[in-house]
Amino acid sequence: MIEAGEQPAPPDWPKAGEAIETGNFGPFEAAALARYAAVSGDDNPLHLDPEAAQAAGLAGLPVHGMLLLACFEPLLMGWRRDLFIARLSAKFLRPVLAGEGIRIMGRVLRSQAAPRPELILRLTARAPNDDLVILAEAAVLYKTP
Amino acid sequence: MTARDPMQAGAAVLAAEKGLGLPVRLPVIRVRTEQGEVAAFRRETGSIGTGDFVPLTFPFRWLALSAIRGVILQLLGGEGFVPVHEAQSFVYERGLQIATDYLLSVEIEAVEKPRRLILKMAVATEEGEICARLETVLRIVQLTSEMAS
Repeated sequence: MIEAGEQPAPPDWPKAGEAIETGNFGPFEAAALARYAAVSGDDNPLHLDPEAAQAAGLAGLPVHGMLLLACFEPLLMGWRRDLFIARLSAKFLRPVLAGEGIRIMGRVLRSQAAPRPELILRLTARAPNDDLVILAEAAVLYKTP
Repeated sequence: MTARDPMQAGAAVLAAEKGLGLPVRLPVIRVRTEQGEVAAFRRETGSIGTGDFVPLTFPFRWLALSAIRGVILQLLGGEGFVPVHEAQSFVYERGLQIATDYLLSVEIEAVEKPRRLILKMAVATEEGEICARLETVLRIVQLTSEMAS
């Protein structure tokens, strides 16, 4: 993340309704969950212990919600490098199980060019069966690349 | 990932044990964006490097600090209960720099029907300038008795 400045919007500043390039992430295998637990400190047994997941009524290990949400930043930065993500809010609607991946899509809900270039984005992540798993909204500001 | 003041963990847990009025506000915790920890986090999350700044979701890992984790465990209700991440938000005033000390303010509220924990964190510079705010909603789920026993 880089500081946003007070610059005029570039000529190609996105308009409302414009789609964000779709990104595919994963599949997230159990080993990846263990590695994420190690670097994030989130060692909730739900994500690591099949018995705990089963006792919670899940058919497999659920991928950490934050591992999934972490995919949104590279998606946005891959779309445009001239963004500062000022806000990202997400609801986790359904678990993604180990071995599954997600597809993240997005669209510009609102676009402002002045006085400060800003976009409001609607972002969604879907499971392989097309179930909606994360519903998110982001506010991004223009920064000089 | 360690809290600089290990006494903070005990104080926070004590506050929860005493059943003090919620939300529980923890003593300010000093944290640091260690370069190696940021690099490891990037490797596992596919974050794109953006200069000297940490990935957007990196501060979430501070919830695992003993000072915070201890209170969460107290409020969960004991063995057989686990938190399920229901919602998360990040609001950034400015990016967090690598290899930099920050001050973390944390407030944890327990709500009922359904049981949830709502955690609010603010990350500030040592001069007190707020850089980021996080809000985490954890639903508390009871495991079946077979697992909990």
